[in-house]
Amino acid sequence: MRFWIKLVRRQLGRHAVRTTLTMLGVAAAMLLFVGVESLATGLDMALRSGESARTLIVYRKNRFCPQTSFLPERYRSDIARIEGVESALPVKVFLNNCRASLDLIAFHGTDVDDYVRDKKVRVVDGDFERFRREEQAALVGRDFAARRGMKVGDRFRFGDVSVDVAGIFEAAEPATEGVILTHLEFLQRAGPVDRLGTVTQFEVRLADARDAERVADVIDARFATAEEPTDTRPKLEFLGTATRDLRELLRFGRAFGIVCVLVVLILVANTVLMSLRERRREFGVFRTLGYGTRELFGLVLAETAVLTAVGAVLGVGLAFVLLRVFPMSLGVEGIAVRFEARPTLLLLAVALAVLTSLCATLPPAFFAARRRAGELLGAV
Amino acid sequence: MIQFDHVTKSYHRGEHVVTPLENVDLEVARGEFFVLLGPSGSGKTTLLNLVAGIDVVDHGSLRVDGVELQNLGERELGRWRAENVGYVFQQYHLVPVLSAYENVELPLHLFKMSARERHERIALVLEAVGLSDRAEHFPRQLSGGQQQRVAIARALVADPAILVCDEPTGDLDAESADGILALLQRLHTEFGKTILMVTHDERAARIGSRVLRLDKGSLHEASLS
Repeated sequence: MRFWIKLVRRQLGRHAVRTTLTMLGVAAAMLLFVGVESLATGLDMALRSGESARTLIVYRKNRFCPQTSFLPERYRSDIARIEGVESALPVKVFLNNCRASLDLIAFHGTDVDDYVRDKKVRVVDGDFERFRREEQAALVGRDFAARRGMKVGDRFRFGDVSVDVAGIFEAAEPATEGVILTHLEFLQRAGPVDRLGTVTQFEVRLADARDAERVADVIDARFATAEEPTDTRPKLEFLGTATRDLRELLRFGRAFGIVCVLVVLILVANTVLMSLRERRREFGVFRTLGYGTRELFGLVLAETAVLTAVGAVLGVGLAFVLLRVFPMSLGVEGIAVRFEARPTLLLLAVALAVLTSLCATLPPAFFAARRRAGELLGAV
Repeated sequence: MIQFDHVTKSYHRGEHVVTPLENVDLEVARGEFFVLLGPSGSGKTTLLNLVAGIDVVDHGSLRVDGVELQNLGERELGRWRAENVGYVFQQYHLVPVLSAYENVELPLHLFKMSARERHERIALVLEAVGLSDRAEHFPRQLSGGQQQRVAIARALVADPAILVCDEPTGDLDAESADGILALLQRLHTEFGKTILMVTHDERAARIGSRVLRLDKGSLHEASLS
């Protein structure tokens, strides 16, 4: 076995430039593939949050961006009295951009104790009590802090909003870790639209997820004739609608990912075909010495697998490191979708690259390996 | 004993059919140094390839030590070849990424044997061809004559009964060619190998114990000047 490993290694090193270029091509393709798929994973996770099933989002009717949704804060007590409602959390959202953005800045001004409880927020660095005490203090989500290189004690300013970072938190839902948490009244006063007493939305927790449709209807009926009518939907549906553009984009992105895999296939097949053509006589010698189809076939496949695996590991590894060092998230309508490069995705990407390249190599390898020595040596 | 019995072999070349061997009868005794002379394209290599089981006859039969080669499947033929035939090519055909030692080692991976036994065999044949001190050299670091010696060592290492040599001196200068021919003669006399060698060089043909000429598909006695 050691001999064959050595042979595979040396055969790949025989044309070092060609091998390197092929590996780099595979690496680049898999880097892009992981980029697209990690965003898809992040979106799946955002939409698959455990608490979403029994959460309703109450929004201003006929408004589609947090910057334009204003609901009276006093709706809270009315909503909380509806049968089946466990809690109603008012959230004022202030964003830098309502459209898709790689640098989403999202402030959530809210009743902090309820928010921390409902969203299972845990301060991992800093002082929660200081945050509670100081009006201008903020807790920054772990993702946002990593993306912006923020630490406790920093001051962060965006537009008219200026906050002191009192702590950094993690939360049960990945999307929550992309926001800056402030006191409700502070954000109501500090925002560009000074509307004290209004919020962007209510997050309504239900005792039983099966009541979602009924409670939503009751809420919308309750405020149908109020000055600000509401549009209440299950959180999953709300997230689904808000991220529709992103999902469209991802559909295109996934097609791009498939092209990346096809690039791997073409690159490796081309390299292997060139190698087989050059080594035709060498294969003839192996045949003459007594080696069979199985051994030669195995040799070509092993070379292909190593070539692709090294390239794929490079690309996938680079993607992993980049996403670790420079955490990225794509914000859409105030929802931060994190690029999630999970170990299963990375393994899947390497396996997919190797399998694809093996499929591309199977026919030429098989035909080359089963040819008779005389044909390969071309002797008369 | 190698027996050709009314052997015919044809090839398709585009639309044409080439018949380098037609109704050939030939016997080569065990331990004989048989040399086949003939111009390029006369079918000498075809005959060698048939003996080595690299190719199969179209008509007639070819028996080597009682084995009818045309009756063996591709896999059996490969196994038979590994055990019974060593092949020396005109252009050496060493694997460029392997050292001399590793090239010689190549045929032995088809056999079950300990690393120690494998090493002993390789050392023995490298010694026999006078290349013990070049074992770690790669083909590009060796002269043409040395590469051919490595190829002969590779052909010998599995201890086959038959050694087939296809123009073994064809790519060598006179001095290296003489060295290779002397080596083949020594292998024949000291180790009793049956050697079939094809060449178009009459000077090289003189070392054979029997020399025939292949012309237009049939064999004739060769008269060496």
